Amino acid sequence: MRKIYYLILLIFVSVAVVWYFFPESKIDYNTQVKPILNKKCIACHGGVKREAEFSLLFRQEALAKAESGKYAIIPGDAAHSELVKRITATDPQERMPYKKDPLTQDEINILTQWIEEGAEWGDHWAYVAVKEQTVPLKNDWALTEVDAFVYQKLEENNLKPSAAVDKATLLRRVSLDLIGIPAPEAISKKYLTNSNADAYQILVDDLLASQHYGERWTSMWLDLARYADTKGYERDDSRAIWRYRDWVINAFNADMPYNQFITEQLAGDLLDNPTDDQYIATAFHRNTMTNDEGGTDNEEFRTAAVLDRVNTTWEALMGTTFACVQCHSHPYDPFTHDEYYKFMAFFNNSRDEDTEAEYPLLRHFEKEDTEKLNTLTAWINQNISAEKAQEVYRFAKTWQPSINSIQADQFINSELTDTKWLIFRNNAQCRLPNVNLTGSNRLIYRNSSWVNGGVWNIHLDSVTGPLLKSVAIKNTSNKWQIVDFEFIPVDGTHDLYFTYSSPNLKNADGSGMIFDWFYFTDDWDNNHPDKRKTFWELVRKEPPTTPIMLDNPDKMKRATHIFERGNWLVKGDVVEAAVPHTLNAFPNDAPANRLGLAQWMTDPNHPLTARTIVNRVWEQLFGIGLAETVEDLGTQVIPPTHPELLDHLAWKLVHEYNWSLKKLMREIVLSATYQQSSDVNEELLEKDPLNKLYARAPRVRLSAEQIRDQALAVSGLLSNKMYGPSVMPYQPAGIWKSPWNGQDWKMSEGEDKHRRSLYTYLKRTAPYPSMLTFDGASREVCTARRIRTNTPLQALVTLNDSVYVEAAHHLALKMQTQSSVKEQIGAAYELATGQKITERKLAAFEKLYAEGIKEYQGGTMVKVRNKKEEQPQLKALSLVATAILNLDEVVTKN
Amino acid sequence: MNEKIIHELQRKQLEETTRRHFLRECIAGMGGLALASVFGSCNPFEKQDKYAALFSSNPLAPKAPQFIPKAKSVIYLHMAGAPSQLELFDYKPALHKLDGQDCPQSLLEGKKFAFIRGVPKMLGPQASFKQYGQSGAWVSENLPHFSSIVDEVTFLKAMQTDQFNHGPAQLLMHTGSARLGRPSMGSWVTYGLGSENQNLPGFVVLTSGGTNPDAGKSVWGSGFLPSVYQGVQCRSEGDPVLFIKDPEHVTRDLRKASIDAINEVNKIHYEEKGDPEILSRIAQYEMAYRMQISVPEVMNINDEPKYIHEMYGTKPGEVSLANNILLARKLVEKGVRFVQIFDWGWDSHGTDSNLAIDVGFVNKCRTVDKAMTALVLDLKQRGLLDETLVVWGGEFGRTPMAENREGKKNPFKGRDHHTEAFTIWMAGGGMKKGFTYGETDEIGYSAINGKTTPFDLQATILHQLGFDHEKLTYEFQGRPFRLTDVHGKVIHEILG
Repeated sequence: MRKIYYLILLIFVSVAVVWYFFPESKIDYNTQVKPILNKKCIACHGGVKREAEFSLLFRQEALAKAESGKYAIIPGDAAHSELVKRITATDPQERMPYKKDPLTQDEINILTQWIEEGAEWGDHWAYVAVKEQTVPLKNDWALTEVDAFVYQKLEENNLKPSAAVDKATLLRRVSLDLIGIPAPEAISKKYLTNSNADAYQILVDDLLASQHYGERWTSMWLDLARYADTKGYERDDSRAIWRYRDWVINAFNADMPYNQFITEQLAGDLLDNPTDDQYIATAFHRNTMTNDEGGTDNEEFRTAAVLDRVNTTWEALMGTTFACVQCHSHPYDPFTHDEYYKFMAFFNNSRDEDTEAEYPLLRHFEKEDTEKLNTLTAWINQNISAEKAQEVYRFAKTWQPSINSIQADQFINSELTDTKWLIFRNNAQCRLPNVNLTGSNRLIYRNSSWVNGGVWNIHLDSVTGPLLKSVAIKNTSNKWQIVDFEFIPVDGTHDLYFTYSSPNLKNADGSGMIFDWFYFTDDWDNNHPDKRKTFWELVRKEPPTTPIMLDNPDKMKRATHIFERGNWLVKGDVVEAAVPHTLNAFPNDAPANRLGLAQWMTDPNHPLTARTIVNRVWEQLFGIGLAETVEDLGTQVIPPTHPELLDHLAWKLVHEYNWSLKKLMREIVLSATYQQSSDVNEELLEKDPLNKLYARAPRVRLSAEQIRDQALAVSGLLSNKMYGPSVMPYQPAGIWKSPWNGQDWKMSEGEDKHRRSLYTYLKRTAPYPSMLTFDGASREVCTARRIRTNTPLQALVTLNDSVYVEAAHHLALKMQTQSSVKEQIGAAYELATGQKITERKLAAFEKLYAEGIKEYQGGTMVKVRNKKEEQPQLKALSLVATAILNLDEVVTKN
Repeated sequence: MNEKIIHELQRKQLEETTRRHFLRECIAGMGGLALASVFGSCNPFEKQDKYAALFSSNPLAPKAPQFIPKAKSVIYLHMAGAPSQLELFDYKPALHKLDGQDCPQSLLEGKKFAFIRGVPKMLGPQASFKQYGQSGAWVSENLPHFSSIVDEVTFLKAMQTDQFNHGPAQLLMHTGSARLGRPSMGSWVTYGLGSENQNLPGFVVLTSGGTNPDAGKSVWGSGFLPSVYQGVQCRSEGDPVLFIKDPEHVTRDLRKASIDAINEVNKIHYEEKGDPEILSRIAQYEMAYRMQISVPEVMNINDEPKYIHEMYGTKPGEVSLANNILLARKLVEKGVRFVQIFDWGWDSHGTDSNLAIDVGFVNKCRTVDKAMTALVLDLKQRGLLDETLVVWGGEFGRTPMAENREGKKNPFKGRDHHTEAFTIWMAGGGMKKGFTYGETDEIGYSAINGKTTPFDLQATILHQLGFDHEKLTYEFQGRPFRLTDVHGKVIHEILG
């Protein structure tokens, strides 16, 4: 009992002390309390573990009675709050944090005072809608509003901005940033010869208008979209999805408003009468992997793809790591376990089912077929109905919504061969469950057979049930065909039981036929033979395709369950699509599908969407985000360095720029902050080693793509060709060795060897090696941030990779057009850096050149190789060119 | 032995302190290394000073583990495709008697197999077994050489996994997750320990069998760790390490002169800019130059004495598992921390003769038996076995039933993927000698005693290297990640 009195006394005293010393300052939850809870308490009393049935994640939970029957927190009454008793207890069995170091007196004071003041929960900055910011007063140095915010922080820290950088360095910097390569000569000349005040502004506008702008920013976006040219997993076969990449390039170049940009990618297929482009945009979420490994459960990998879509949507577009909520409530952030699955419900009704063909696919017709289809659907629209026209259009364009044959089960003498297609042996039997037949009297299906005389019977609800149809199966010589038959309509949902036999199947192990999909429809074209002809002609075309998103029609909808502890096999309650309750409300008029989701995400009140893209653009330009962890703006990570600036830009993006990214970038690169010198001195390193306050411009190593593209550009090899299937430049032999996959790296021809790196074929299990070395991503999952490294293997790439050897050779050829060695070296250096070479640097390269000449004119090499003397000068220049392409100032943005 | 390691450790720590001091005084004087954005956050030890990490310019510099390690390096031999435990180590005479009979329903109910459908037949052991050594370990006739070293080995006979497809199971084994995106074991180890030899990569991967592992390069990827920690594939064909060879017209002298010129200009640039990252690049170029000498040297087995070639069954110039195993020994001898070997072709389904348990599988055993035996003996004779942990195994086991793909009999004898029991063996690195842990039922279907998982194996490997697997963490996406996720316990029973 005495202990308690002491305790109360102690608390009283500490509260009194706090009040005495800080009588006016109220404790702030976000900056003072939450960090303590996150660090010291929440591991045991949070979203994952709720020891003693006490959690500090939400106020409601924290104020509730704990297991002991006591209240941990009684607002306004610290002395009786169990939490305060426990953190100040002296008995190690009682004292919290249990078996860890006690809280410091400061921490105890903060928590005590906070409870005394009512234990108010604050909302995390990133989960509250962006508000309009007051721009600090601009001083003389400031050019844009960005500078006003930056300057304010510099002053607070007794720092001064650096001087403006020289024109040539700025030109190189802004070119690499906006278009990913040095500016084309026309643009750079115009800038360097223009001495007017607006020269830089014109340069920025020229760069933003360049087609290369779209290519540079697409490189960034493809990491988020986990774009690759293969399906991933074991077999890792090719996937033709490059039209999506081209869509992104065009969207950036057209400066498609960012809200529209993400709406089309998330839900282009759900817009009214979507265009091909809008369908292609949805391939964003078809960049998930498909598992073709034999023996894999398609439902498992369909589910994996859906989960990946959820995680990527959050990480890439909303700067939140949501993946942990898959297994349990978020440990730190206010997201609950069931909210994950409610969110998943938005994505769980897409048609894709991990099939080998990657259905649904958009079929790209030739122009004349497109016209035929348009004429046909116009006729249907007029003569039958708008719905039928839409249905026919969709089927011709996508073969959807069809039932994949992998949905079959209950196999006897039948099987999903390689777990990919339904296959029949003699006297086969299986079931196609849950088929809604209402309104159908015709089945169109895709199959292949290699045996004559087969009979396929379809029974309703059991093998002995009523016969829906008996079909003679023709030998198609093992070629896929699409055919149909009509049947007498039946209402309702039925299990279809299939049987198959053929007198020509003598061997019990031999198989006779295989199915791909089934499409139930009606005979709308029965009395219109010409229409029927066009329809079949279009349906049977096999044009190039792109995987796209399409939702299940109502009759094929899947229910979404909570997965207990994240295990997809342990299904819990069914949930409906919804968004987390702590964020802005779902718009009233929005549909509960991906389109509604996109409307919610692009609602001006959404706290994360605009902040995330602003932070990402800043990170691309400055090397580090205003909030460093661009993938997660949650409560556990480092808070932003300039929260007001982040919010200001996010506000402007939505309310002033109408989501224009070009305008956002323009504002940033026109700032004095961006145009500073990147020189570092002792004071700056001492006060701000990581340059988080921007008293200087950042120095950042170029990205994998930029390093290669720059080498090609500097040497004059870079092709300006845009778009199309991915290409295969030089790659050492033996990189591709996928199991069960005969595909090979076939070196591209002509200019395709020298395309920009975003066009390089990316195989997930064996990515282009030099890209990986420079921290490129293998794109199996969303990569929100590349961590830059500096390794000897990188040196080996730029010294020895054929790409760079060839580039150096071409640069040497260019150098030869100058007369003296000094001029030759100076010219190459200037091409690579934009700078005039200094005497000392020139001397170093001259020495190297001399060594080369010595070797090539009389050294061991000549004797060994016994070749007709190839110009020793050219080879020596190549040496110098290689050295120049390897300089720190060349692989770095100064 | 321990004394040696402790001594070594002390020396390393001393070096480390001195180096840091040096960096603080000299380079920090010029202005500290602005690497914290990269390395400041990759602090493997909770209590290590973040500020100190800031000054560690080289992420691969040797670091001290959390406690005194038993092993300094690991050679992990992965037989990709999953070898049959029932034809190698897990002798089940009772299975003989069941050969050809229908599999009992009790073994099939509620179970999922990759290819078995309906009711398969049981398949008796397709090899004869004998007991060997003091320990009396059972080994099949498929491994005549290996049977002579069983007294050096610890067997884990009750390994279990929950992934029955190759790709996910390999990922689980090496990254602690069946899904992509996590760092591999070797990456965690080099992240925690750095590399002993700065002229060689710290984490080397060698592949044979003509095909990469099913899970691709992700099984040696660095996941969310900085890419500097990813495995470096060393190859017997083409460049031993990608891009290590100088271009045709560049002699060694000219390469030296080139790097001198590059670094000279970089130094001048450093004077202009003052950015310490430039100093780091200078160091990387010097290291690259040294690697160009040391990698081809270590990857060349031509100069190994004849008796070594006979011992391993190696033939210089071939791409073979045996050659890779010999290379692994050379690499750890030179201070490489983690060598991961993948050999493709162990997936004995019985769908063709190469994948038949009594044909192709026997041949595969011949390609590994002599070499893996030689590896253990060779490490031992060099005094390296105690500090080198050798691990051998697949990603899962094989069924005691014959595979009946699509419900029909396979053309050859074969077994399907099996998650509930498989064998892994380990030698050296502080393991018990001549010891068996774990037991399966009388037909080798289920583990019944001493069950262990890939997480336990990972925890044990990290433990031998001086790490508490729960404390070797990396902050990512707002929470600390570790190799073993939320699982794993050290298998103390097998530690010597």
